[in-house]
Amino acid sequence: MLRLLIISSLIFVCMAYLQPSHAHDGNPHISPGKSKADSQEACVEPTDIMRKEHYLFLLHQRDETVINGIRTKNHSLANCIDCHVSYDEKGKAIPINAEGQFCQDCHVKTATNITCFSCHAAEPRYPNHEKTISKDELKEISKIAKRIKDE
Amino acid sequence: MNNRRHFLVKSASALTMTFIVPSLLSSNAQAKKPLDQKVTDKKSWGMHIDVDKCADGCTACVDACNEENGLTGFGRPETDSQWIRKIKIKDKTTEKITTMPMLCQHCENPPCCDVCPTGASFKRVDGIVMVNQHTCIGCRYCMMACPFKARSFVHETLTTQNTNAPRGKGCVESCNLCVNKIDHGSDTTACEDACIKSGHNAITFGDLKDSNSKVRLAIDSNSPRRLRDDLNLKQKVFYSNI
Repeated sequence: MLRLLIISSLIFVCMAYLQPSHAHDGNPHISPGKSKADSQEACVEPTDIMRKEHYLFLLHQRDETVINGIRTKNHSLANCIDCHVSYDEKGKAIPINAEGQFCQDCHVKTATNITCFSCHAAEPRYPNHEKTISKDELKEISKIAKRIKDE
Repeated sequence: MNNRRHFLVKSASALTMTFIVPSLLSSNAQAKKPLDQKVTDKKSWGMHIDVDKCADGCTACVDACNEENGLTGFGRPETDSQWIRKIKIKDKTTEKITTMPMLCQHCENPPCCDVCPTGASFKRVDGIVMVNQHTCIGCRYCMMACPFKARSFVHETLTTQNTNAPRGKGCVESCNLCVNKIDHGSDTTACEDACIKSGHNAITFGDLKDSNSKVRLAIDSNSPRRLRDDLNLKQKVFYSNI
């Protein structure tokens, strides 16, 4: 019995360690609109690290992508936007640098000018490019749109 | 004791199923570069253009490029970006008129990279010549250095860029052989796809280092030439019947 107890407590400790230690606060962090990130447990790194150091990840990834052709999604700006962009009640994406939106909101508060979006698309825009958006992602977006409509 | 043995055996097999088997499967199943690996010089991308097959008046490749990379003009043909354009040339002796697409020739010795003061113009290890727009200062030396007028400068503020092709005011840009598509495992470009779809089959794209690739077969069977071969730039875009 004691052995079983030890093993189960070990498993519990392991599971707790494997779980993301910093969960998302669970509240929609943007208004207006809803994003895919709202329904996620955690970001690609712990939330407090992302808040302070997201630009370092982006800075590192941009050179890796442009020069070395590395296209992993975790620290890619395109993927950040795909997940954090809000959708209005019609399911249409609201540019992430629009007033009150995910990127803009914080950068206004901290008086930091974002230059990313003078070149990068501020919303997922893949014309003639269905292949890069998976069917699951498309489904998820339409689900979000439906949820917003129902609310 | 038995319980513990079962537990260990089960957890070991679970770990194997979760981590080891999928990694083996994926490495066998995919010949293309994994997304987290750097590009290597094992491939060298190039293009073959059969000028005889290129139809006068057809702009399928140009339209496809514009759509793929979100190139929307401002109705000012003098300054609007063009990564690929159709040109018409006339042989003075035979008076034969030829139309053909002109794009970045992806030189082995690119003059644009020689003159770039910031290193923004660079050649990737797989041979793609492109602009790192994060470090481009918009001086346009590269535009002057390019003998093929392959580069464009963005003069206007842009708002409708595609996610796969970031581009903005104050930077130089040019054909990058649909680098995003290639890095995601594709072996075609938008212009090649469009040319095949239009039924002309003038453009063939592929890996020059693979002796069985469609571009190598096209080059081997056509004995094409490079434009302005005298400059010794060793371009990776070849033209036949010119």
